[in-house]
Amino acid sequence: MIQKRQTGFAFLLVLLFGFSLFYVGTDGFKAYTAETARVYNLLEEKPALPEVILEDSNGREYPISEFEGNYLFITFMYTACVDECPLLEMNMGRVYDQIPSEYIGEDILFLSISFDPEQDDPPTLDHYKNHFQADGETWRMARINDQTELNSLLKTYGVTVIPDGEGDFAHNSAFYLVDEQGRLKDIMDYTDVDSAANRVNDVLANEEEE
Amino acid sequence: MNQFIFGFLLLIFLALPPVAYLLESIMIVHMHMQMPLLVIAGFLMAIFFQNKFPQFFENWNHNGIPGILLFSIIMIYWMIPRAMDDALTFQTVELFKYISLPFLAGVPLRDSWQKISSKMKNAVIMIFTMIFFAMGWLYIKWPEQLCNNYLIIEQVTLGWGFLTMGVCMTIYLVYNGLVDPTAYERE
Repeated sequence: MIQKRQTGFAFLLVLLFGFSLFYVGTDGFKAYTAETARVYNLLEEKPALPEVILEDSNGREYPISEFEGNYLFITFMYTACVDECPLLEMNMGRVYDQIPSEYIGEDILFLSISFDPEQDDPPTLDHYKNHFQADGETWRMARINDQTELNSLLKTYGVTVIPDGEGDFAHNSAFYLVDEQGRLKDIMDYTDVDSAANRVNDVLANEEEE
Repeated sequence: MNQFIFGFLLLIFLALPPVAYLLESIMIVHMHMQMPLLVIAGFLMAIFFQNKFPQFFENWNHNGIPGILLFSIIMIYWMIPRAMDDALTFQTVELFKYISLPFLAGVPLRDSWQKISSKMKNAVIMIFTMIFFAMGWLYIKWPEQLCNNYLIIEQVTLGWGFLTMGVCMTIYLVYNGLVDPTAYERE
């Protein structure tokens, strides 16, 4: 009888343990992949941009903090990429087109950052930007030459880049919105252009009211 | 006692950094080789705990149900894509893997398997078969990388691994259902 009761108790205890394990392991049943967990944690944290020096398609070099006072719409890519990045950049262009022109260049800048500085020198970036009708001013493409700086930026935003050893990379993609103080504002699904554009427009409109 | 030593040595071997690194560098090996081997290590070591604390198992796992539930929970937890990523990212999760799979899955599995009825055994295998088919389908069909540490191609390979295991378990279940072993035994 006692054994029966203890076994029943053990059963409940195990259930409780399982529940806690899954609760903790998935951030309260919210994040079943590291990617969703990453986004979830980043949005809680709102990390600031680390100090990095950009070199853009015009060969200009400047720290990313130069953009403070503007919102930044950021993607991470490399130009040799054939599947995901072209779609990412194309969708970025579609978001760009949906932002009212009075905001562009005034309140918000678009920035595509390459994580393949070896291949993506300014001429390559310049060529690449033309594919997407980026003007190189309000939508810039840039590389980060210092590998340590690049890694710290990728790490801050949880961008995992795995080189396959043959010049290609596996990586996760998203739209990143950074606020005027250089802090992460939002991470958006790059496949859902309309939602991303609406979100950015909402943020910019709210900013104007304040 | 020999079994305990084998299990213990297996656990130590799997915990060696180069071995762990090698097994974890390939997704399907991480999930379908390293993790089962950890369970087997616990399974072998279980005899030691059963001899040492017979009363504990007798009292708390009398009918084997809590043990098999604990085993299932641990196994299913380690099938979550995120758990694998977390094990590679966080030392504590990695440590939890090396503790949970042998001691919270392997040990209770051995203690419970001899206690539960054959119907229950089949039910457990059936549940895992269904989960394996579902996981296989998920890992093959999911268009995005589920684990940030592994490429999509590895994910698809893992999916086929799950399906293969699912097929094997189905064959076992069918065989088990159709064939009566006593019919082949001599009187």
